[in-house]
Amino acid sequence: MIYFDNAATSFPKPEEVIAAMKDYFFHVGGNTGRSAHQAALKASEIVFETREVLAKLFNISDSSRIVFTKNATEALNFAIYGFLEKGDQVITTSLEHNSVMRPLRHLEIIGKIKLFIVSANDKGIIEPKDFEKILKREKIKLVVVNHASNVTGTIAPIKEIARTAHKYGSTILIDAAQTAGVVNIDVNEDEIDMLAFTGHKSLFGPQGTGGLYIREGIELEPLIRGGTGSNSEEEIQPDFLPDKLESGTPNTIGIAGLGAGVKYVLRKGISEIHQKEAELTECFIKEAEKIERVILYGPRETTKRVAVVSFNITGLTPSEVAYILDQEFGIACRPGLHCAPAAHKTIGTFPQGTVRFSFGYFNNISEIETGIKALHKISRRCV
Amino acid sequence: MKGKEIIIVFRSTHDAIKAKNLLGKEGIPFEVIPTPKEISAECGISLKIEEPLKSQALQILKSWKVRYRDDLL
Ligand SMILES: Cc1ncc(COP(=O)(O)O)c(C=O)c1O
Repeated sequence: MIYFDNAATSFPKPEEVIAAMKDYFFHVGGNTGRSAHQAALKASEIVFETREVLAKLFNISDSSRIVFTKNATEALNFAIYGFLEKGDQVITTSLEHNSVMRPLRHLEIIGKIKLFIVSANDKGIIEPKDFEKILKREKIKLVVVNHASNVTGTIAPIKEIARTAHKYGSTILIDAAQTAGVVNIDVNEDEIDMLAFTGHKSLFGPQGTGGLYIREGIELEPLIRGGTGSNSEEEIQPDFLPDKLESGTPNTIGIAGLGAGVKYVLRKGISEIHQKEAELTECFIKEAEKIERVILYGPRETTKRVAVVSFNITGLTPSEVAYILDQEFGIACRPGLHCAPAAHKTIGTFPQGTVRFSFGYFNNISEIETGIKALHKISRRCV
Repeated sequence: MKGKEIIIVFRSTHDAIKAKNLLGKEGIPFEVIPTPKEISAECGISLKIEEPLKSQALQILKSWKVRYRDDLL
């Protein structure tokens, strides 16, 4: 199988990720923070270590400001529901994934918030000045931006948007589901107040891992309350991080794997990973452009995007193309709307969607060539 | 360990592990113990160190912003 669905979840994972998870099962056991015996202590150390390496990756000075969640979706929900209050106004973009759009639309429908949408152009590019237009005339509590679109692959200018938001006293939440591990993120340099990430994509962790960074000074109302292993004499939720937002037994084995994945990324280096993925993307786009009846979406320049490429073949639906690719060529990819209907409306591919190839660090040029050959064949075949 | 000892209690397990790693790195001997019930039911693990090392240890914890219970010392 050729795996071109890394934007959905990365595959394969580095061996050390599997080794770390195996080690947890064989040699650790234990529930973090719940006891002082060796096994529990070891589990606590693993969780601590993963927080520390994530802090290193995102240049976060205090790792207790990172809370673990089961994915980016949960992190985004924690941030959105935990931060917003009745009467607040919010800006987001037309490139958002439903993990942002649905919570915000829900709050809008129940009359809790007012929502403003900044539209990207049909290449998936958003302009910081469009945020400023709204920020100038409205009091905006929160700006939520997708760092890289999982449909067009475009990378948003988050630093400029964050600066603009801060100029008007607003707070910024970044959805880094598609960028953490492959685009450099520095919460200080990029002025990020809250950063939601998922563990199972470019951080190479297993599914069921993710997290949220919350800058000091921001208080979120927890969505879930319960046991934390701390303050047990109290019947009210602790008010300090990470415990405040981490009730219940965490996914320790997953966090062990995530820690190993982040260490792998740190060892290889973001720029090396990005470089390789950009080369694969460039190679694909350069050849795909030449194929008759293939329509590519998103910007041409590979420097402005992650390794996500949406396309269509005229005369075929995205699911037909994906089905042929899978059945006849053994290529795994994702057709449809990619949980981002607004993004497809933006680029004009709603409601049929697109075929999406998303490359990863473990793909190689010969796989890209096979993909290109397959598209040539499919394109020639059905006229 | 002999002589007088003190117990450092933490708010979060995160801080207890952070403290343990820091003291370990600085070569300050400690023992990880379950937090004694009569002291508090803060996070489940505490560190026991020798009394003469107290100020040095606390200095390190403070400089790394470890959240321990000063009031319980
Ligand atoms: C841009 C974006 N945001 C959020 C998510 C949600 O991530 P998860 O499914 O891990 O919660 C995804 C991936 O599916 C995504 O591509």
